[in-house]
Amino acid sequence: MEARIESAICPGCACLCDDIDITVVDDRIYQAANICLWGASKFLAHKRFHPKKERRRLQQPRIKQGCLWQTVPYEAALKRTAEILTRASRPVIYGLTNSGSWAQEAALDLARSTRARLEPADLAFKAPYYRSLMKHGLFWASLDVIRDEADTVVFWGANPLHSCPRHVVRYSVFARGKFTERGLEERRLAAVDVYRTELAEFVKLFIRLEPGQEPALVQGLLAALTGGKPPAIRGLRRLAALLEEASYGVIFFGRGVSYGPAQELLDGLGELTARLNRGSPFIFFPLTADFNSTGLYHLLLRELGSPLAPDFGHDLAGTGQAEPVAWSEVDAVVVVGADLFWFLSQEEIDRLKKRQVPVVALSPFANRTTGHAEVVIPVALAGVETPEIAYRMDGLPLFLPKIVSTHLWSDSRVLRELTALL
Amino acid sequence: MGLVIQGGIVFDPSSNWDGEVRDLFIAHGRVVDHLTEVDEAIDARGLAVTPAALELRSPVAGYGQNFLRLWGGLPSPRELGESYALLGYTHIHEPDLTLPTANYVHRELAAIPLMDTSASLTLNLRDFDIFLKNKENLSEVAAAWAYLLEHCGGLTLRVAEPFVRYRQEFYQHRTISLEAVLDILDNILHILDSKISLEATPELLTAGLPSSGRFHLACLGPALVNPEALEKAHRLLAAGVSADMGLLPPAPRSQGSLVPLTIDQDRFAPCDLHGSPDPEAPRRALELALHCRQANLAFSAADLRQTPVSSFPQLFSWLCDHHSRRRFWGEDLAPCSYSLHDWLRSTRSLPAQHLGLPDRGHLRPGARADVSIYDLPTLSWWPQSFNRCRMLLKAGERVVDNYEIVNHTVSKATFYRRTGALPNHIIDGLYAKSSFRPGNLRVHPNPEIHWQKAP
Ligand code: SF4
Repeated sequence: MEARIESAICPGCACLCDDIDITVVDDRIYQAANICLWGASKFLAHKRFHPKKERRRLQQPRIKQGCLWQTVPYEAALKRTAEILTRASRPVIYGLTNSGSWAQEAALDLARSTRARLEPADLAFKAPYYRSLMKHGLFWASLDVIRDEADTVVFWGANPLHSCPRHVVRYSVFARGKFTERGLEERRLAAVDVYRTELAEFVKLFIRLEPGQEPALVQGLLAALTGGKPPAIRGLRRLAALLEEASYGVIFFGRGVSYGPAQELLDGLGELTARLNRGSPFIFFPLTADFNSTGLYHLLLRELGSPLAPDFGHDLAGTGQAEPVAWSEVDAVVVVGADLFWFLSQEEIDRLKKRQVPVVALSPFANRTTGHAEVVIPVALAGVETPEIAYRMDGLPLFLPKIVSTHLWSDSRVLRELTALL
Repeated sequence: MGLVIQGGIVFDPSSNWDGEVRDLFIAHGRVVDHLTEVDEAIDARGLAVTPAALELRSPVAGYGQNFLRLWGGLPSPRELGESYALLGYTHIHEPDLTLPTANYVHRELAAIPLMDTSASLTLNLRDFDIFLKNKENLSEVAAAWAYLLEHCGGLTLRVAEPFVRYRQEFYQHRTISLEAVLDILDNILHILDSKISLEATPELLTAGLPSSGRFHLACLGPALVNPEALEKAHRLLAAGVSADMGLLPPAPRSQGSLVPLTIDQDRFAPCDLHGSPDPEAPRRALELALHCRQANLAFSAADLRQTPVSSFPQLFSWLCDHHSRRRFWGEDLAPCSYSLHDWLRSTRSLPAQHLGLPDRGHLRPGARADVSIYDLPTLSWWPQSFNRCRMLLKAGERVVDNYEIVNHTVSKATFYRRTGALPNHIIDGLYAKSSFRPGNLRVHPNPEIHWQKAP
């Protein structure tokens, strides 16, 4: 039987494009229209940007018995996980930026009840941002308002073509808005990065920096805007002029900012935006890639009063921690909605293995973490096989209905049942 | 199941019960005339029994409000729900919901336990500007607003900027003055047979309002920037205009200015949630509330950053007790204070009326059994004892008992207005401009929310 679902929402990245038309044949996704390659990898289970390479779905929970894998029912996998968490004195629940909001809420409950630390996968990117906001304030608007109003757009350490491919078409570069009716022609664009990226093809000004040079550029821009003498950095004066002439501007910063001295850089960018805001509206906007990273920080801020990593092992209020967790202290990890072993260095992985830290992985797909985990729990794809809520990168939530069925449990169900077991 | 609250001293301004000792019967979550048999009796002898309070303005769920928590400016949803319940509230109303933020707002409201919720659909007149300019289009605009109200799960209509202005030069021809907008709104409200809330501003107070009785002036306090604005507000209230107070405390002298927290919702003026009001506005707001206690003036606080729910008892004591005013303000501010009857009217009857919830804010048969019970050692002591609720029933279920929350999971609903209106070409135009497809802007599929049609 064939069915066509219009206006489906793509959980591929935090753009949450909601104009995807899906054809379902016999309860399997057969075709997806309007979607980018990145998003298609979620719906059609292929590797990101490589449609011919299949991504292996996990089908059954399994646990490690000595060196051997054993396929088990969900109940047994949960029991083993509960044992691991009960034994642990410093458990961490890691990831969640690629999980729906119901799973995030369930994970927060689990972290509370196990006195664990909840570590968002992109903490190194977001914690310095929130700390910078607390110092310098915030001007905020939805992506629709940015599309309609912003005539000056800067990408800083961000390459939307890789992290959220349709962003440039729907909101920031080519999109036509109420006061930007001619799209690209109405916008002045700049990009700052340590590599030359595809953005260089269409931005007016591309500043390529040496690693570590970014804080100097920010300070130079501040100096140029306040009549001081900026350092000699190529493109600095042109960028300062572009920023100053904006009638409505936005700085989208990406994960690139977290590769260097992130706090210093984001403090500087926060200060720069605050300075620009004295003249015209200027927005300092994290270009979040993971589809519900925004939802996670929103939840933490709303429930705990801090968007930083709550550590219930520290105190019961779950005081937020800005510094990434010290893996050397951790004695159990539950990974949800992320691929922890992709981000850890080989040294860190070796140390975890040497200390025999048990890892439990909840994932729809096989990945590096599931390869190292002691317990692997396959979960349904949020927003495709199970309904979920997710927040677009501007903080607006969407309800993602189920499109096809599965025998797999949702991650929110796994987490809730795990909490109940404990 | 039947329940009786026995022998309480009942106060209900809209039923003209001003301390009558009577029994209150409850069945199936509603107040009923009489029951011959009951399953449970609550002994309320010597206690004050009143309808539960409704918060007419609780800006806790609007787009961007969550950022306030970065600076400790808003408690968690759980703390909010509990603080309201412990004061005797069962319903809170968010004033700012829009088409793109409706899902956001309802999700935030759903996270607040214990409280029923509702929200005002804030209309951005810039979205309708070309249609507003021609009288012949007004019925279509009215139909579009009626559709949006239901579609967004809103209960009432609100306009924050009753004018059309643009920063962009090439849009200047679309400007519509405040005076012209008030006339246009009056016509549209006539077609809709509805009321609307207008956010009070000095400019609006100076312009005055049409006399149709279809306008509610929201949050007067911050608009009282000078004696002239106070005078105008006074006159409007004396003429019978409905309004709410927007009380706020004076800014502490020690408080430095906070960094800006500005949210742009595509209005002419983005809103700074950290903005500080005129230093004299708090005093003027209180003076106005005291002088106009018999007017159509409901209780409200300006915002919950400056006036957290936990500080409401202080605001109540300023309204009701001249000793407390003298202690804090160094003077009486007005010769009169709110009686218990006045206070209940401003926190129960009037908010229920403004929200259009006819079964709330009173205890007559048919009312939903939302009842708050307080100690009442002596009648003159009521402002102190009404600071904490001894028992709170919500639809007949105990939420607070012996001053403590006893049921954290009492059922809650989001109230919305069903209009039955269908989308028209104005709505199609709005959707065309949105980055969301229409189906994804619908709020009703969200299974987390228990929707309830307003009666
Ligand atoms: S940009 Fe993101 S949300 Fe949009 S289709 Fe691509 S992956 Fe999906």
